[in-house]
Amino acid sequence: MEMVLMDNLWVIIGTFLVLLMIGGFILLEAGSTRMKNAGHIAGKTIFTIGIGSIVFWAVGWGFIYGEGNGFIGLSDFFYGDTSFDGEGLSPAVDFMFQMMFALIALTIAFGGFAERAKLSAYVVFAVLFSALVYPVVAHWIWGGGWLADHGKQDFAGSTVVHLTGAMAALAATIILKPRIGKYNKDGSSNELAGHNQVYTALAVLLLWVGWFGFNGASTFGVSDAFFGYVILNTQLAAAAGAIAAMLLVWAITGKADVPTTLNGALAGLVAITASCGFVEPWAAVLIGAIGGLIVYASMRFFDRARIDDPIFALSVHGTVGVWGTISTGFFATHELSVGMEWGLPGLFYGGSFEQLGVQIMGVVASGIYAFVVSFIILKVMDKVMGGIRVSEEEEIIGLDLSEHGSYGYPENIPHPNDNQVNDKQAR
Amino acid sequence: MNNYEEIKQFREQYIKEKENAQQLNAFHDKVMEKTVHVAMEKVEREQGQIPAPFAFFIMGSAGRQEQSVWSDQDHGIIFEGDEQFTSYFLTLGEEIVHGLEMVGYQKCDGKVMASEPMWTKTRQSWEKKIHEWLDNATWQSLRHFSTFFDSRVLIGNSFLLSDVKQVAFEYLEQHVHVYERLIDNVDFIRKGIGIFGQLLPEQSGEMSGRINIKTTTIFPYVNALRLLALVDKCEEASTAGRFQLLKNKYPFLQDYEEIYLKLLKFKHLYTKDAKDYDEVHHVAVKSLRKRDKQELKSFMKNGSELFQKTKKQVEIECSKW
Repeated sequence: MEMVLMDNLWVIIGTFLVLLMIGGFILLEAGSTRMKNAGHIAGKTIFTIGIGSIVFWAVGWGFIYGEGNGFIGLSDFFYGDTSFDGEGLSPAVDFMFQMMFALIALTIAFGGFAERAKLSAYVVFAVLFSALVYPVVAHWIWGGGWLADHGKQDFAGSTVVHLTGAMAALAATIILKPRIGKYNKDGSSNELAGHNQVYTALAVLLLWVGWFGFNGASTFGVSDAFFGYVILNTQLAAAAGAIAAMLLVWAITGKADVPTTLNGALAGLVAITASCGFVEPWAAVLIGAIGGLIVYASMRFFDRARIDDPIFALSVHGTVGVWGTISTGFFATHELSVGMEWGLPGLFYGGSFEQLGVQIMGVVASGIYAFVVSFIILKVMDKVMGGIRVSEEEEIIGLDLSEHGSYGYPENIPHPNDNQVNDKQAR
Repeated sequence: MNNYEEIKQFREQYIKEKENAQQLNAFHDKVMEKTVHVAMEKVEREQGQIPAPFAFFIMGSAGRQEQSVWSDQDHGIIFEGDEQFTSYFLTLGEEIVHGLEMVGYQKCDGKVMASEPMWTKTRQSWEKKIHEWLDNATWQSLRHFSTFFDSRVLIGNSFLLSDVKQVAFEYLEQHVHVYERLIDNVDFIRKGIGIFGQLLPEQSGEMSGRINIKTTTIFPYVNALRLLALVDKCEEASTAGRFQLLKNKYPFLQDYEEIYLKLLKFKHLYTKDAKDYDEVHHVAVKSLRKRDKQELKSFMKNGSELFQKTKKQVEIECSKW
């Protein structure tokens, strides 16, 4: 009994750690964007996780884990299972832990909205994403859906959480179009520098620690202290990602760019999320390092493709989420896959191409579903709501003032009545 | 040409015809000289005759004769006599700034212009200012001093500028340690080549994909020759002229002189069609052929090497004093 309670305690501690990652995302997004939107970012994040929590309770859990078919679950709505038979996780503990993943995916998706979406768009999309996008992919892989039947490996959510969130962010950033001033007429892009790199660095640290709960508590228990091994892999991948990204950007541009370095650490974390329970530490270092290299290449790719990704959600969570998922197809060991009754070993451990194929299929199917459904939802919202992007004037003023009526940093920004808005009107 | 508009048209008409950096700089001198004359006539009509002997001098790339097709303004005035003439010369400075801007020379962002009290003074005040800059020896004060030292008289009495430069030479002779600070002041060379041997262009903004040839490539030559000119009490302002005058004393300069002249040619070739002042310092990496890239890299490497050798030479010279 003590061991069962320890399991429950560990998972609820993991729940708290993952919830605190929301604080990391607030700092990450606020630090990576301009100060005129900082209050908005903090406020809308708390507000939308409120929405996400209620929707997850009402229908999200049911769509993922309810009795249903290979595509979706269809029972256990308005969750309230108080039973606990003394074995495994208490239903409420399990529910709470799973809810956190849904909230993280939602927060990642909103990265694509940064600095230009209406608050009302956040509200509506929070409801629809939490009901129609995330739960379906989660059901396919974690809820006994069709990809789970194929033995798709995703230990803590490289695909389910990160790729799903990033695909929604991609749909949003395509529909919302680039921020004012991001691209010049000749196609060159300007750096709209984030206002606080210290926030961004602290965000990475907060997320890093939170990830120990994200990955570590995905063991769902403390037996064999396997969570320690998972956390070790997580640490190594994050470290390797930071180093690889910084060395690459330094070598290519001559400057050890700070945001790229920070994204490298996050890339290491995202990459190892799928594979942390399946691979050996040396592989974790390699997976993280490759994540760090890929994230920089991806940042440049999106920038050149004129897809404005203010907080690099597409690269960190999307591109690297894909790599993380596929990486188990190469590096999963026999002991940690077949031995754990979760899929097959990867290509480098005597496995065939089968597991790699399953991983790729999972990425493609999940990515397409999340992108297409999010795109449709946002397109319909765009039509019905008279646009999901704020007006040019509101964007220039900043969302703090236009959507909330007060600045996150009231002392540091001149009131718009004193400058550009009046200038615009005067002209 | 009696007004700014005519000078502007003259400038626009003929500037593209200049085939090399030397011709281009001689042309700039001519245009600026005419503009300043028009400004002087206007101020004399409104404020009366110029009250004292003076020197209008140009600094920066104009002083060093390294101007491209687009250039900004860097200039000042030294005048004889009383402080009471300051307001007259500042008015003249303002008119010159206005005239040069009309003709096509944008204002200096750092306000190194004769309209500013900092750059228009009596000879005594200039001498005091030179002492102050070198005494303080802060990063900023030495940057001002270096800017001042790359100067030559365009209109007026050359001896005024010469006298002020002599004051600097005398000070430095007695305060050798300041050279160390002058070296520190320009020791940072912006990296133009990455560890894979690739050129390092701007990463964002309208200049993305272009490399700043001024900061990455030309500055080490400029800074090296300025240091040697100071050590050798050479008043010459142009970098090419400094090479000429100093190469006999410092034989290692001979190889670099040729490279520097080739660099000026290279810069002229790739910036002569620039559409504004910002673009004129940036060369599009894509526009370069493989051998041009190699040549640009070799300019950078040689510039860096020249600067290192110069540092050692300055240390040797200082130890003799």
